[in-house]
Amino acid sequence: MDRDAVKIKIASLLRQPPATLRDETALTDLATDSFALVEIVIELQEELGVRLVQEDLKDVKSVGDLIRLCLNAGHGQVFSKT
Amino acid sequence: MLNENELWLLSFYRTSEISGSLFFGRLARSMKPGPIQRDMTKHFADEALHAWYWTSCIEKLGAQPLKLTEAYQDQYLVAAGMPANLMEVLAITQIFEKRVINEYARHSRIPDVDPVVRETLDKITADERWHIEWVRKALGTMEADYGKELIEKTLKRFWQADRQVYSKTMKEHEERVQYLLNKRSISKESQKNG
Repeated sequence: MDRDAVKIKIASLLRQPPATLRDETALTDLATDSFALVEIVIELQEELGVRLVQEDLKDVKSVGDLIRLCLNAGHGQVFSKT
Repeated sequence: MLNENELWLLSFYRTSEISGSLFFGRLARSMKPGPIQRDMTKHFADEALHAWYWTSCIEKLGAQPLKLTEAYQDQYLVAAGMPANLMEVLAITQIFEKRVINEYARHSRIPDVDPVVRETLDKITADERWHIEWVRKALGTMEADYGKELIEKTLKRFWQADRQVYSKTMKEHEERVQYLLNKRSISKESQKNG
């Protein structure tokens, strides 16, 4: 899976055209509320076959951070056990 | 007739049930069909019904629900952080539902609680017990994927967050319950004394 594919998935979950998603855009600006953000992160894992835990998201603030995290996460395995 | 504190509390319960229903409804919509999605569907349907029970209860007592901006769940996400996967969502749900049952039981213990409120509390508490049970079983099935140790660690972390939420951000809720408990015990005492 490459960077563009992850970006396209994120854009489709956010119901936004991929071209409008910039790496520096804050996730909180895109999600309508914190529950929407939880929903997006969980759906993204189902779509991409990766698994994240809360600790992994600690420093994820922007679209670029989330793309990098998904690219680094192991498929079907818990990424971090901390 | 409801006093200001009672109306606020019942409206707070109603708002929290609406938030829970919307959250689990959205989550169920995004999940693949299976046993967890099935039980989550029942869970969000229950929470929607509970919101209706509170609406109806408030109306029967001659009032209209207050529009509150915050629910229990909003405060949880601030203190406990955002759950990042389904196991973490279920772990935080387990802790949260236990807290809700405790709070409803506490409200039930207020002396002379109106029978309409008591009936509503009893109906909802029966469903909440099932919520704890299905989530406990679902977490058990996730042990193969996540490991028992990680699930226990996650529950412990959210349990600690729950205590923080309760001691810090649930202050208004706590003060209003305490006010009702004190008020009722003072009125009982004065009845006894003459």
